[in-house]
Amino acid sequence: MGVFLRALRALFLLAGFYLLCLVVLGVFAGIAVAVHHWAPTLAALKVDVILLLLALPVVRASFFIRPPEDDGEDGLRLSKAAQPELWAVVRQAAEEAGTRAPDEIRLTGSVNAAVAENTRMLGLMPGRRRLHLGAPLLTGLTQAQLMAVLGHEFGHYSNADTRLSAITLRGRHAVTRTVSAYHERADQRVEKERARQEKKAGRARAKGKKPKAVDTTGAGFGHRQMAKLFVAYAKFYLRATQSVARRQELAADRVAVRIAGRDAAASALRQTTALDAAHGFYLRTYATVGIPAGLMPPHGQFYGGLARLLAEPERQEELAGLRTGLPEEETSPYDAHPPTAERIRLIEELPDDGRGHLEPSGPAMALLREAGRVLGELEDVTLTAEALAMRRVDWPELLHLGLRAGCDADAEPLREAMRQALGGDAGLRTLLDAADAGALWRVADALPKSEEAGRASGRAAREFARPGLRYGLSRLVILELVDAGLARWEMSWSDGTRLDLSDDYGDRLSQALEAAVADTPDTRPLRELLPRALHPTTF
Amino acid sequence: MARLLPLLVIAVGVYLWYRSRHGASAGPRSASPSALTEGSLALGFLPASGQNTERARPDAELDALGASVRAGEWEPTARALAAAGKNWERRSQIVGEVADAAANDDAWLTAWEAARPDDPDAAVVRAKSTVFLAWEMRGSARADSTSQEQFDGFHRVLMRSRGDIERAKALNPEDPTPYITEVWTGLGLGYPHETMRELWAEITARAPHHYAAHYSALQYWSEKWRGSEALAWEFVEPAIAAAPHGTLLPALRLVLWYEHHDSDASEADYREAGLTAYVDAVLADIAMAPPTHPRLAEVRHLLAYFLVRQKRHAQALEQFRMVDGYVEALPWRYYNDPAAAYCAFRDKAVRKAR
Repeated sequence: MGVFLRALRALFLLAGFYLLCLVVLGVFAGIAVAVHHWAPTLAALKVDVILLLLALPVVRASFFIRPPEDDGEDGLRLSKAAQPELWAVVRQAAEEAGTRAPDEIRLTGSVNAAVAENTRMLGLMPGRRRLHLGAPLLTGLTQAQLMAVLGHEFGHYSNADTRLSAITLRGRHAVTRTVSAYHERADQRVEKERARQEKKAGRARAKGKKPKAVDTTGAGFGHRQMAKLFVAYAKFYLRATQSVARRQELAADRVAVRIAGRDAAASALRQTTALDAAHGFYLRTYATVGIPAGLMPPHGQFYGGLARLLAEPERQEELAGLRTGLPEEETSPYDAHPPTAERIRLIEELPDDGRGHLEPSGPAMALLREAGRVLGELEDVTLTAEALAMRRVDWPELLHLGLRAGCDADAEPLREAMRQALGGDAGLRTLLDAADAGALWRVADALPKSEEAGRASGRAAREFARPGLRYGLSRLVILELVDAGLARWEMSWSDGTRLDLSDDYGDRLSQALEAAVADTPDTRPLRELLPRALHPTTF
Repeated sequence: MARLLPLLVIAVGVYLWYRSRHGASAGPRSASPSALTEGSLALGFLPASGQNTERARPDAELDALGASVRAGEWEPTARALAAAGKNWERRSQIVGEVADAAANDDAWLTAWEAARPDDPDAAVVRAKSTVFLAWEMRGSARADSTSQEQFDGFHRVLMRSRGDIERAKALNPEDPTPYITEVWTGLGLGYPHETMRELWAEITARAPHHYAAHYSALQYWSEKWRGSEALAWEFVEPAIAAAPHGTLLPALRLVLWYEHHDSDASEADYREAGLTAYVDAVLADIAMAPPTHPRLAEVRHLLAYFLVRQKRHAQALEQFRMVDGYVEALPWRYYNDPAAAYCAFRDKAVRKAR
């Protein structure tokens, strides 16, 4: 079946969706007429209301909701005047792909590139075209790889089938919208029912009666059943149109190969996948670490730090490992994208075009004028007001203070347990004194417990509590060492951030913690490792 | 009502599934239960409520030891273990009894260790209690309904048990008990087969035909733990061939068969010639076993089960007569209500033997 026929079939399937809606509404109308004919008026009116409620999502979803429009408001708009080099590359990519250049380029914070267009009349009339380009891609790709990524995105618009595929897309949106509209309604009804029953229970209690337990199993039932009908159709629809969608992806890949060369296209896919993982790691272990302490990296560094991470030779090695070992991800039968590994395989099977042996191109970030300032502006438009209001400190300070705040938060459950079990002050020394006085396991018993741990008694209960107790205690000790200036989290772009305890001290601390949380606690070794013992003159 | 329909369908489905899994209990259940129990009671059997589910046979000494350690006294246990001497089968039983109590509260054991440092008997109880503690943390649910926290605790405590076991071995090199204890550590931690074979050589060098040791190792070699049915047979047959009469080891074949086939066996499977020969071999062996063998009652329970399954009701009844009142044994211990399962099979034998 040709692409055109497939797209045509998509059109019929979309028509089928509207037909299904009409049939459902028709059946409802039929029921209403029948009920009015045979049943007493009051019951008939009741049925009318129920049918109306059930019909509402169909009407709303199929006739009033348009596909979600790209509002285009996210990201930082890059003007032609300010970024001529980037614009030139983008124009070149669009031209070589055989489609028109975008009207706007918007820089975003994600590892993604996309071209969006607000078409009208089911995609028959063109609209404003925007390129969304993630800053991490500029950081992590070469110019040749960027060209391949752009080629792929514009490739979606250069193929003859793209216009018609808007129909497919609209169909996908319409069906999923309807399903979620039903689920939303069902959830609302559950909530309403709960509120109603709770109110009733409240009245019963006020009258001194024993209220019934809130039970919402029946609420939202009708809406859920209706959703099932549409889910069934949606599954059918998504499966039927999937091959069209997947073919489009592969066609776009071929455009990328034509524009950027086989090797650049394949390596761009590998690098993007690796970059996605690296970026997630960067956000978790560097960029957002200061948040518990209310701290952000220097202006421009929230997006700029990734380059410093990637510059380290050790990280380059890790990235190379991620590039070669692509996971064979499980793909959903409803996903439009073929697995990345398969896309790479298909590209690499193409004959060598000789373009991979050319001079390596420079980093894509070089296309951006005043990159530091631009990344700073990107923060201003993408981060929350709360994050932007945070104090800016340099990286080493940020990581140290951020991890200290994390450590402090991790000690909180133990402090809370101490307050509950012992009352009053919740410091390290209070805990050690309590342990010496035989109250340690009373504190441990007040720590948060899992269901299984809660059921355990005797030694098993102690055994369940021990890891949490040891962890909380280790946090308290580390905080004391850090606050006495005896330890510090040392950052490194190549090797994460570590507490700078000597190996010997680390081993002794580990043994001392073990002794302190033993069945019969011995706190002496731990006390000997605390600042006051280490430096008696200073403390 | 329409909404209840799926629930009803599920309930019926679950019931049918349950019935097919426990086909046995369906048989006895088909007659009026009160009439059956009356028949059994007339023969002097006890009702389900009168069955002890802690032991396979009466044992006044273990009762007294259990009570004494729960009261915080360690001295009676120390005396009992000294009296058992090199009766390793009995020693295992005593250690199991008190270690079970120590897995919950070990204050008395700690007192013992403080009063007699390096006492090998205290050490062997300590080792066993640590292994019991590990299994208690894991719980008895299947792996998929056991939480990560439970598995972590299980492994942590089992790892710790290895230190306790090594200490007990060193303090009494002749004693097989810590080695037998280690079989359960190996089973939980997944010792490689070679390691288990080495451990087994240490055990048989000290106690060649120890029933509880064989039972434990068979668990390791069975499919549900670290082996397969083939490996289990490879373990069981040479052990039986090497054992003198009256050591109860032929019963291992029934244990093996039960572990691998009982859940989906048909009525005909139980009466197949091979299994009948296994049952006959056990009947012959128990006739030569010393009546004081601590595991004899346990074997009689399993034997009685298979005799009922083979419709040899009169022979089954003979076994039931000798063990009634104490039902902590295979296969009853695998049922949610061991006493009820035991009584169902026993009552069937009573009815059919008439």
